[in-house]
This record gives sequence, structure tokens and C-alpha cells, in this order.
Amino acid sequence: MAILLSRRSNLLAVVVLLLCQLFLYATVSSSGSVLKQGGGEEFSEELLLKPFPDRKVLAHFHFQSRAPHSSSHGRHHHLFPKAIAQLVKKFRVKEMELSFTQGRWRYEQWGGFDPLSSNNAKPPGVELWAVFDVPQSLVDVYWRNLTHTLSGLFCASINFLESSTTYSAPELTFKPSFGNLRYGTLPREAVCTENLTPWLKLLPCRDKAGLSALMDRPSIYRGFYHSQRLRLTSSESGSDEVDSGIGLDQTLTVVLQPSSWRTGKTYSVETNIQPSWSISSIFGRNIPGKCVIAKSSNVYLQLDNGLVGELKNLERENAKYVANTFESEGFQSNHAFKISVTPDKVFEEVDNLHGKSTSVIYGFSVEKYSDSQPFDLGLTWKIPVVWSCQQAPLHASRFLMGSGNERGAIAISLEPTESSEGLPTSHIIDGRCELRVDIFQVVPWYIKVYFHTLQVFVDKQPRAMADVVDKIRVSPSKDKVSPGVMEMILKLPCGSKSAAFSLEFDKGFLHIDEYPPDANQGFDIPSALISFPSFNARMNFSEDEFLNNSPILSKFQHALQRHHHYMHSICIVFWIIAQCASEAC
Amino acid sequence: MSEISPEVPDNRQDAPSHVDPNSTRITKPGVKRLVLTLSVLFSLVLGFPFLWKSVEIYRSSLPFGEISEMESNPSLSFPCRFQAVFINFNSNPSPNHLQLSILDKITELTSNSSQCGACANDLALSVTVDSISSCTQTHPTDNSNYYRCGAISAVDFDFSNDDDDGVDELLESVLGVKNVYSVVVVNGGGEGIRAVVGKYRHAWIVGSVEEEEEESVLVSRVAEIFVKMFVNGGTENGLIHGEFMPVGADRRIVLSFNLLNAEPNDWVYDWDFQRVDETLLAPIIKVLGPIANISVESQVLYHTPKSSFSYWDEKWKSYIFSTKDLPFFVNSNEWHLDTSIAAGGRSKILQFVVYVPSAKECPLSLLLPTGEISKTNGFISPMWGGVVVWNPPGCLNSETNHPSRHTMSREDLQAVFEVFMGQFRQLFGLKSNNLYIGASGTYHLLPSGKGFTEWELDVLSRQFACFNLHSCATTLGSLSRLVQSLPRMIIMDEIGKLVQFSLEAAKLAQSNASLGDNESSAVSSGQARSLAEDAFFHPSIMSISYYSFEHCFAIYSPFFLPVSMHVLLAALREWKRYKQEKAKYTAWKAKVKVES
Repeated sequence: MAILLSRRSNLLAVVVLLLCQLFLYATVSSSGSVLKQGGGEEFSEELLLKPFPDRKVLAHFHFQSRAPHSSSHGRHHHLFPKAIAQLVKKFRVKEMELSFTQGRWRYEQWGGFDPLSSNNAKPPGVELWAVFDVPQSLVDVYWRNLTHTLSGLFCASINFLESSTTYSAPELTFKPSFGNLRYGTLPREAVCTENLTPWLKLLPCRDKAGLSALMDRPSIYRGFYHSQRLRLTSSESGSDEVDSGIGLDQTLTVVLQPSSWRTGKTYSVETNIQPSWSISSIFGRNIPGKCVIAKSSNVYLQLDNGLVGELKNLERENAKYVANTFESEGFQSNHAFKISVTPDKVFEEVDNLHGKSTSVIYGFSVEKYSDSQPFDLGLTWKIPVVWSCQQAPLHASRFLMGSGNERGAIAISLEPTESSEGLPTSHIIDGRCELRVDIFQVVPWYIKVYFHTLQVFVDKQPRAMADVVDKIRVSPSKDKVSPGVMEMILKLPCGSKSAAFSLEFDKGFLHIDEYPPDANQGFDIPSALISFPSFNARMNFSEDEFLNNSPILSKFQHALQRHHHYMHSICIVFWIIAQCASEAC
Repeated sequence: MSEISPEVPDNRQDAPSHVDPNSTRITKPGVKRLVLTLSVLFSLVLGFPFLWKSVEIYRSSLPFGEISEMESNPSLSFPCRFQAVFINFNSNPSPNHLQLSILDKITELTSNSSQCGACANDLALSVTVDSISSCTQTHPTDNSNYYRCGAISAVDFDFSNDDDDGVDELLESVLGVKNVYSVVVVNGGGEGIRAVVGKYRHAWIVGSVEEEEEESVLVSRVAEIFVKMFVNGGTENGLIHGEFMPVGADRRIVLSFNLLNAEPNDWVYDWDFQRVDETLLAPIIKVLGPIANISVESQVLYHTPKSSFSYWDEKWKSYIFSTKDLPFFVNSNEWHLDTSIAAGGRSKILQFVVYVPSAKECPLSLLLPTGEISKTNGFISPMWGGVVVWNPPGCLNSETNHPSRHTMSREDLQAVFEVFMGQFRQLFGLKSNNLYIGASGTYHLLPSGKGFTEWELDVLSRQFACFNLHSCATTLGSLSRLVQSLPRMIIMDEIGKLVQFSLEAAKLAQSNASLGDNESSAVSSGQARSLAEDAFFHPSIMSISYYSFEHCFAIYSPFFLPVSMHVLLAALREWKRYKQEKAKYTAWKAKVKVES
């Protein structure tokens, strides 16, 4: 729409009228003081790079815009995107998150327990949830309008979330809410540049300067995982000075495979050496200095605790390298790897409960770099290192059972990850050792789930539901009206080796026009969400002024209480009975 | 079965065995089967009208006659009430004579323009000649509040000095009557004739008039003020036409102000728009209230180069872009001006852009076709908005490498907004300067602090009402043509209602206009327009617009064709058989008769 309009403007500009003389209107009063820069609006940009054990590299961009609550009721903007502020105001959005994801987050290889993965791993396709600040009777209306607006804003078919068959209102497990939360997913939405461009438009520098200049489209869409996220929080003025106003966090998480041309032939033979990479080799571009409007512009390199522990072990084994200790040199140049730029800051995680080793983050400020002297961070490995990422307490998987075109069953199985023997035992409630697990599952109406067939198996033995399920909330689906929603709060006994749930369903009979295009690919059941509320995915750093100014690091430190884990969508195939309406058949 | 049954009676009869069953028949043929098949056929035929009735499409009846009537004449006739007051005329011209000559002039001036909103039919003029000794006055038929004799003389004001604002306020206190436009002609003062049009609904002409021919000059100037200023709003032909009124169908305008930093690496400018909004824009928005509901928003954008080229000119010591570059100046790829989410679907958005050039092209100036540099350094694009190029102070001499952040100074901001104000007036089709050069002389226009003078607002609301009514008539006309051209189109009741309401609102606007109530006429004509558009864009029209006979036939023939064919054929065959058997029977009967 915007493009259309301005196109027309170009044509219209032909009929241009010139002003010759001024008409003077003298009314300005001479009061007022010097403007606070940017009207109190702030913008900061950050990039986190992290090598993964499977030879891939994570790049996580984080752009944060803040607008204070202003007396102008959000009509005048200096840095904050006007469209978002108007959206928040018009639809009374209290909190909102929209993510576009392509590919799957590999929880086993890329980690499932650090704040990064639990905040940024998203189900494939589009996921949208929003909390509205309106009476409950109006929430659905606002949701529908919001989906249409977002659809226009992001050039995606988010408007399909308007239909009541696609969204639900979780109450127990997703987020504490009071009936004003709506959640919807489109598992099959394809994500590409047409979604990225409007997202970039919300940044003051777009991709013209600063860290976002790295977003070379072929490079970032070549990756294994691509998740573009937009999170909004708004609060009325008053309660909290710092948080009042609107906050917009835009993140882009990509997992890329560095091409290992730099390592040379000698290493490429060896399979377990990590590929050396630099920013220019993975993105094909450099960082041409910071976005001048940004308050801060930082790049971080994170080595997770598994890697740090492994490096320390290696060092202990090779006592001859004792001169290069991590502590003294901040280990940018040691026996294992070399960082091409001297970091401005080194953060070490402290007091980590989950293991002995701690992760290390190197901070680089981009402020002093410019077009003529671009910033290019490189990591060169000298020796092969093998490590693994921190796993979630349970490994969850979901699959379909049964065959044929009439019925089947969905099963969810939970198994402790290899790191722990049995279920983690550190959480003792009322003298009984239990692990709390929340499951949230939405099922489309044409998968007619019989909730009474819910069966629970612990250690492969059937159990009574009351033993394991602490709370359950089920809203059965209504044909062509609403999806089925199941929310469960489980209390699994410690030490159990596995837990499984199964639900039987019938495949509904669909009318010809209810099939999606390309129906032979099957139907996607939206991702289920498993969270471990008693686990805290957060990192502690020694208190530093710098940390509070950094959106990424403060997110790490004050991470969500819940630890989220998505089970990827599964695909159900419905047979289509060929029906023909036209004469041609 | 049909073959067996006729033979049964034959067998039962102990007929002579020599009778040939193919040619003769000795019993009366039964009518049972014929009745049965015919009754089935009959019920089918009887049922057909019911079916026809049940598949009939619903068409709400639209008032086609009224629509075409309005389309042919979508005009509003506003009454015009003028008065001319002549003060200090010693020669005592007859007011009746003056009235006639002014009216002549007015008809002469209005004859060649058929602008909607101009008073063509309902025109009344009162002329007063007020001198110290006597006061004579002509009264038109209606008793409006015209000038009271001696009111101006009583306040004893010196018109000859240059305090225009003072005169304006004084005349307002004396003449301040709504809907009556006045021109005060004062004899005296310095040499030459000076004409000023005030902020309210009056103008005055000061000059020493002694001779007869100068009186005719005065008369033509009075008539010109009435026609060109108070009726037409001082617009010249060829400027923006009333059809391009930048007001949305829901009477809303969103003014979107954008500060574009072409290259923030050179310098970043910010502005304090909040204060501009409060001090400069608020009075204008209030004043335009009857015409449009205006909301204001602003944003600052970065990395927004223009898409046309400029070149360095040594003569002007600046980079030059000329008028032929203007169509390419607005860079729709990089300028994310955005439509506003806050605005509803049919609101009009006007973009106003302050362009801060980069260091590479600073200062940037607009070269007019006359070979001069534009003083405003800006241009407008009708129905879209305006652009002003603002060169940051001292951009030529300062060679800073690191980007610096500034705020536009209050004076700069005010200068830019004065240009915007002029552009805004131009977008509404009004003049942006304070001098009007007419056929018989020049007129000074007093600017109003609110941006629009009262007589200009009158002109705008009249034009707006006209434009709305015109657009309503066109929309309804095309709707009625569409509906008439597709006889099998479904028309919901809501559409009929919307059309009806729209016509009613249009009629209300016309009657309000003839009563002289500009504002309510503008409001109800706006309603008429938006209702007409609601009807035209009703979703039911968009979805199933056409249900043709062929479509209907294709749907029902698979059900009814096989059945009806069988029934019809059976009835025909049965009828044929009955006739044949009857013939055989009558033949046999005749034979028996002859034999007996």
C-alpha cells in the first residue's frame, strides 16, 4: 500500500506547483527548552556470534528500540517506528510476539537450555501471540484486526490467523494470562525476503548502516535455521520509570555453515576440526561502522560452557601451554584458537549451577570502525575440539501412530537427556521429588482428538492420569469453529527413565474447499510447547554497568522464568477423494 | 408391461377369435394410465412456477429515477448576500443606480464561470450611501441584518493610515454578520485607490473619488471583490480544481510530517515537533474543523537520499535541481513515509517532507523555470503533499568527519512551517501569497493567524459540499448503471437502504445550502458521499456480482432435465397409444353398427 501510494506520488509530482512567496503566519510562542535528543527514544544494536559443535555458527542480531511514554500520545516519533507505535496504540497491545521461522532448531546439537535457545528457538512458520489491554469480550475483535494489520505490515498471510479455527486462548501453560491472550500459528508459512524487508524498515538505519548491513540476503537465507522475531511490550506510564512506554525487540537468529576455505587443505581432511570463519566469510560483507543513530553497537562472541570446559581440559593435558592461561590473557590467542580482533570486554559467567565450567563472552564495540576501516571478526581454530551444548532436562518428541485414513494417535514422549541419570532430582516439592513439565498443544478441528483416550506411561508402565497430571485444561474442538486445545501440568516422579502420552483421534471429513492448496503434502499439526517452569535458563555475570546497557546480555541475565521447548510440527496426510465440479473432468 | 395390459381385456372378452388385435378393438380403451402420466406431467408443469419463484434472485429496488435526476443536476445553490457601503461621498450617488451597476458587473463576471458553489440564482445586494448629511439605503426583499446607517461614521475611524488589522477588527465589530459579505468604500485619504480584503467577511476600498468615471472603477472593483474573492476564494483558473479536495471520504485528513536525513553519517537533524504541533498546527486544525477532521503525526527517517540528480552551479554557489527533476525527487524506494495505521481506510493522508540534503549536495536549491532560485525551496504534489528542502546552516564551510547530532532551531522550524502552511493552502486550492492581481487592480489580502480567513473557509466549505455532492452523484450513477446492466445481479437490502440514505443526505445538503448554512451542508454532503461509497463497495456486490441465466440453467438442468424428459415422453407416448386404441375401438364400433 505504501509503495503503491508513493508510486502514484511520483506521477502526480509532474503536476507540480511552485511556491513563490511566503504567506506569513506569526504565532510561535518563544517558550520551550532545548530538545532532549531523540525525544527520549533509544535504539541499540547487537550481534552475538557463537560456534556450534556441529561446525555451524550462530549469528543472533538483536535490535532494541524504546519509546518512552509521552504526552503527545505517541504521535511524534524520532527513532521509534511510527507504524509499530500506532499499532500498539490502536489495538491496545500490551505484549506481542511475532516470529517467522524457516528450518528447525536442533535442540541436541545447538543446545536447549541456555537463554538463547529457550528464547529464540521458534516453531517453523509463523507464530503470533498477543496480550491485549481490553475487556475480554473485545479481545477476539482486536485480535482479528491485529492479524490483518500485521499481515499488511509484514507481507505475510498472517490474516489467516483471523479465523477462529486457527487461534486459541491458552490460560495455564503458555504464559500467565487473564483471558486476554491469544495464540496462533501458521506452520506452513514460507518465510523469505519479502518478510525481512518490512522488518528491516522498522530499524532507523534499515540495512544501510550498522550491524544490519551484514544481512546479505543470499547468505542469511542459505542457513540451516532462520528465525526473525519481533517482540513488543508496552506499559502505561506510572508504575515503573524505566519500563514505561513501548519496547520493541527485533531479533534475527540464523545458523550458518561457514565455508572452510580459510583453513586450507591440511585441515579440511581432518573431520573434527572446526572450520575457521570470519564475519566477512559467513556473510560476504563487513560491518561498516555503527548505525550513527544507535546508542550502542556491539558484537559479542560467545563460547559456551561445554566448549570452555573442553578447552580447559585440553589445556590441563598439554601442560606445556601453561603460559597461555585463560585468565591472564582472556584467551583470545591461545593454543586452541585465535580471535582476529582484540576484545574490548570479556565476560565470564559466574556461579553456574548446571556444571563446573562457565561460558565466556567477548565483547567488541563497533563504534570506532568506519567505512574505510570495517569491522571484521574472525575465529581461527588451531586444534580440533569436540564438545556438546547444554541440553534441556528432557528430550521431547512427538509422533503419529496408527495407519489408514480414519484414525490414528498422537504420542508425546519425554526422555531424560544423556547428561542426567533419570530425571533431574534437584526439585523436591512437599517431600516428594517431582519434576514439573507443562505441555501446550493445539490441534486443528479436523483432527478430532478424543481426550478421554489420554494414556500415560511412566517407565513404559501405564499409570493412572491422576498420578502424573497435576492440572489439565482441555477445550474440545468444534467443527469448523474452534481448534482443540490441551494444556497439561505434569508432575513426573524423579528418577523415571521415560514418560509418554498418547491421544487417539479421528480424521475429520473435509469438504472440497476446506483443503489447503497443495493438500497432497498433508496437514501440519502446529508445534506443541513443552516448558520446564522449575528450571531457570539464565546466565549470571558479575555485575557490570555495561551489562545493563546491552539488550542481549541483560536478556541472558534476566531470562524468562520458563524454559520453552518447541516440538516441531508434524504432518498428517489426509487422502483426498477426487471430487470434480467442473465439466472438464 | 405396457405391452401386456391392453391385451388383458381382449383375453377376458369372449370375442370372436377372428378379430385382429392389431387393427380392431372391441372394448373401450382405459384412461387410467393416461390420467396417471398426464397428472405427473401436470404437477411438474404446475411446480415449475414455484421453482422459478424460488430460484429468483433478490433485487432490492433502487430509486433509479431519483439517482439519474441527481446525477444530471448535482448542484448546490448557495444564497449570496452582499452589501456595499459607500462612506463620505459628497456627490451623493443614488444607491439604486449603484446597485444596478454593481449587479451588472457581477453578472458580467460570473457569466463565464459555472463553478459549483457560486451563487448563480440567489443573489441579493444592498447598497448604502452613508454620508454625514444623509444616509440612503436600498433593501433587498429579504430582511437580513444589513448595515445600519451611521454605524461606521459613529466610531469615527481613520481609514487612511496603514493599520490594516485595526481597520479589520473595527469593521468586524460594526459589520460582523454571518453570511453577509461587505465591501466598504471610503472616500478620502491619500491619492490612488487601495483595496484590502480582511480576515473576516469584509473588504474595504480607500481612495479619493471625485469624478464620475472613477466611480465606475470603484463599482467594478467592488464587484470583483464580491465575485473573485468572496465567491471564488481568490483562485485563478487552472489551479487545483475542487475535485482534488484532499479530504478523505470519512472527512478525515492525516497530516504526516517527515524529517528526512538523506545521509546521517554527515549530520543528523532532529526537531521538536511537539511544540510545532501545539503552537502552529493546533489553531489551523481547529479552524478547519467543519471541513475536515485533521490529525497530525510526525517521524524522522534516516538514510533517505533523493532519487534525482543535482549539479553544482557556480553562479548560485549551490547544488541545483530544476523543476523538471521534481517528478523524480520523491524516492519511493527509500522514503518509507508509510501510510498511517492510525488512519482509517478512507482517510486522506497528506505527506509533508523536510529534506535535509547530505554533505555532498549541500546547499541544495530549486531552480525555477524563470532562472531564479525558489525562495521556498519546495514544491507540492496535488493530493500527495509537499516537499521542502532545508539546507542545514553552514553546510558549506564545516568539514566535520564525525557525524554530529543537531536539533533544528526554532527559527528554522518556523520558516519551514510557514512554507508548509502555504503548501497546505495550495493543496486546498487557495492562494499562498498575500496579493491578488485582478482585472481592475491589485488587492491586499490580510493573512489570518489561523492560516485560513473566514471567507476562505466559507469558500472551502462550499467547494467541499459541491465536491462531495458531485462525487456522490457520480458514485450512485455508476452503481445504478451497473445494476441496470446486470439484470441478474443480487442486490441486498442494505445496498438499497444505503442508496436511499445517501439520496436523503444529498437532499438535505441541497436544502441546507439553499438556506445558506454552509457548514451543515458540507457535513451532510460528506455523509451522502460516504454512504454512496459504502453502497458501491458493499461486500455483497464484490463477492457474487453476477448470477447469469446460463449459470442458473447449468445448476438446475442436471436435476430436472432427465426427470422432465421422461415424464414428457411417457405422457406423449401414452397419449399416442390412447388415440390409436380409441381409433381402433371406434372403427370396430362402426363396423359392428354397420354389420348389425
